[in-house]
Amino acid sequence: MTDYERLIPLLVDNEIEFIIVGGAAATAHGSARLTLDLDIVYRRSQQNLARLVHALEPTEPYLRGAPPGLPFNWSVATLQKGLNFTLITTMGALDLLGEVVGGGAYEQLKPYTIILQVSGRECLCLSLKRLIEVKRAAGRPKDLEAIAELEQILAERQE
Amino acid sequence: MDNAPDKSDTIAPDPVIEAYKKDIDVTLIRENLRLTVDQRFQQLMKLQRFAEELQNAGQKARQKP
Repeated sequence: MTDYERLIPLLVDNEIEFIIVGGAAATAHGSARLTLDLDIVYRRSQQNLARLVHALEPTEPYLRGAPPGLPFNWSVATLQKGLNFTLITTMGALDLLGEVVGGGAYEQLKPYTIILQVSGRECLCLSLKRLIEVKRAAGRPKDLEAIAELEQILAERQE
Repeated sequence: MDNAPDKSDTIAPDPVIEAYKKDIDVTLIRENLRLTVDQRFQQLMKLQRFAEELQNAGQKARQKP
């Protein structure tokens, strides 16, 4: 299980610049679909990478699905060498995305966010309309049902 | 609070996505929209726990001779 009530406050309390996207963003907007992880787009500034490494260190981040014992070094240097990381932590599954198809990086997505209150903290979440647009742009067949639900939520909110 | 510069919530319909909408349970959406964001995440975590229990039960059942 991914513990959103601990993971999101951990990121916020360490002043990490991030935007909730993907299935967790859909949940925040009212989706009833099951998602198993927390997807975030993170700002790739040196300071933010350092904060991410420091904040997540106690949660023992490791590459999800990778065999145990790989020489995975959780560090700023590792984050600089990659872009998107699918991690398993002691608080659950966490995907760190440097950018998303159809939406771009943190800076491009930030104007299309809403402020969420989660466990008493404020954090950024991709707006419902932008989430739909990004999922449409990704063009993945597995997203079609999720997009249909999100568009239905948008319609319900407009009524 | 919405930071989005585009205030229009209109999205051009896509015929494939429209076809999927027939199977969406609107009652579940309406229930969820009544909840707070915290309650929605709590509900998701309950669902994840239940899915894990089902997976474990399935694994045990397959291991039985």
